[in-house]
Amino acid sequence: MVRVGVIGLGRMGMLHLVNCLKMDDVEVVAAADASKKALNRAKSLGVEKVYADYHDVMSHPSELDAVVVSLPNFLHFESVKLALESGLDVFLEKPMANTVEECRDIVHLVEKSGRRFMVGHVMRRLDAVERLKAGLDSGRIGGLEVATIEEIINGPFAHPRVPAPVSDWWFDPKKSGGGALLDVGYHMIDLFRFFAGDCNVVFCSLGHKFNLPVEDGAIVVLRSRSSGAKGIVNVGWFEQTMFPRFNFRVILHGDAGFLNSEEFIPKNLYRYAAKEGLKNLFRRMVGKDIRPLSYTYHYEPFWLELKQFFSCVRDGTEPPVSAVDGLRVIELIEAAYAMCGKSPE
Amino acid sequence: MRKRGFLGSFVSLVKVSDPARLVEAVSQGLDLAGFRADAKANSVVIKPNMCYYWGADTGQTTDPRVVSAVIDVIREKLGKDVNITVGEADASAMRTKWAFPVLGYDRLAQEKRVELVNLSQTPLVERKVHVGSREIAFEVPELLLKADLFVNVPKLKVMRQTKITCAMKNVFGAIGYRRKMVYHPFLDEAIVGINMVLKPHLTVVDGLVGLGAYPVKLGLLMAGVDVFSVDWIASQIMRYKPSSVKCLKIAVRERLGDPQGVGAVGESVAEFRNVFPKASFGLGSLVGLQTRLLKLYSRIAGDVVPPFLEDA
Repeated sequence: MVRVGVIGLGRMGMLHLVNCLKMDDVEVVAAADASKKALNRAKSLGVEKVYADYHDVMSHPSELDAVVVSLPNFLHFESVKLALESGLDVFLEKPMANTVEECRDIVHLVEKSGRRFMVGHVMRRLDAVERLKAGLDSGRIGGLEVATIEEIINGPFAHPRVPAPVSDWWFDPKKSGGGALLDVGYHMIDLFRFFAGDCNVVFCSLGHKFNLPVEDGAIVVLRSRSSGAKGIVNVGWFEQTMFPRFNFRVILHGDAGFLNSEEFIPKNLYRYAAKEGLKNLFRRMVGKDIRPLSYTYHYEPFWLELKQFFSCVRDGTEPPVSAVDGLRVIELIEAAYAMCGKSPE
Repeated sequence: MRKRGFLGSFVSLVKVSDPARLVEAVSQGLDLAGFRADAKANSVVIKPNMCYYWGADTGQTTDPRVVSAVIDVIREKLGKDVNITVGEADASAMRTKWAFPVLGYDRLAQEKRVELVNLSQTPLVERKVHVGSREIAFEVPELLLKADLFVNVPKLKVMRQTKITCAMKNVFGAIGYRRKMVYHPFLDEAIVGINMVLKPHLTVVDGLVGLGAYPVKLGLLMAGVDVFSVDWIASQIMRYKPSSVKCLKIAVRERLGDPQGVGAVGESVAEFRNVFPKASFGLGSLVGLQTRLLKLYSRIAGDVVPPFLEDA
């Protein structure tokens, strides 16, 4: 049984909490959030110990094996540092931290502590992305020449089903570390590394349509260090997107063909949800394990990555996404910002 | 200047082929609608629609270029020294401090030398009204009650709950209390109620982009001195029978307006109506059902429901 503390109960943190609560061999010992409403919700879900200050979760480290951290970006470094120094394994929502310097310190702390540490590079676990990777690795499109990877969403402006204002820290570069490039681009840059290996930044252009202190769009060109393959990353917060439309796609252009993520993403997400739901009901009826969240398509990866992390905690194996992966993405983002004349806050 | 009464009034429809000529269009619209500015008016408050952080191209929020043209026309009529404020109130999910820069109003304020005001942070006074048997209380910005000229600049768009959202609904947005969703269980009554308290002297509708089933470039500017009359015509353009729009029916019942005497001048309603993409909310009303089905499924299958889907 992995005893876990869930720190940060915003949108992602609450999803991680309900996932943890459903997992066999995982016991949620405590949860923390500054919002009283979120804590009440955690209590109603069965979490006995709830704290307004996340430090309190880690005040009795012997009661825990791991923490799941989904705090605002500016609290990533200090919370991870405290957890690792308390001898806890850590699952951390992206970005790893706001600056390269903080990320390097985390890498060092992970090595020194010997704890399991994993950053939530969740897009790697999306079914369509796994299929693209399998297709590429099997040689189906030959050598990768160019990858176009894009996601345009509403970012912090996404209208929640229950109206709530966007938190101010998103638009404070000192707290958020950046805008759309750090928020959405983080995943897209990670995907290029996933497909093409480590890379360098060769071009960056930032968008400021919204006249905010952080960018609301970015186009970044990357080049693979090993193969020279180029990656064109196009991200933004500027579009009013609503379920079931999801403006994300990856196209891998090789010298023997191409693969497009849209071939693998269900065209009708409602129909897909009904089909997957029925499959799970059938699995339950015949006594098999269900595939949690498969009916949502886009949220199943959050279950899978957390499941994988806890498996590493139990087995003592290395997580598939390392601290160095998180560091490299932040190094690339910082390089892209520097190219546009922005220095780290 | 305050034209009140139970009879409706004329609403002008002006085609705007070139946004560079918006000032001319606003001026023409005001003349056609019979708006006469009080030469003594000194304090002017303009209330655009900034319901959320979605730009004017989406059809959701008032185009700052329309507000800019309104400012120019007002200065033309009242003199360049007239005190003009552009105000919007916070909403349940929207904060004006971010909406102003995101939607281009910071820039407008600089260019036009007008003040931007968060109406939720101005002095508010409580007003109670009866709509039918329901007593409704509102926290109303004093600034709007005291303004010599209150100009309402809504969008022309549809909304699931109310079918249309235009002149009267934009006045609802001026309520100072942030969590306006508390009114949603009786939204139509609340819309009528707030319009019994806050009475714009002039409404100029931004229909450059209209929002029906999807955004459409209508190139329309509407003007009128009576919110009810504007909404009556607006609902026709949005392809709803005005008598099927609940807040208009309540407004008639409460004697806030009277369809008799309402008419369009300038371009024809049909010209815009024919290109307006009528919205259908058939599936939308199933959102509650979807949530219930999801909960039932999760109980039977033992699956997880993402909390943000369960909240609906």
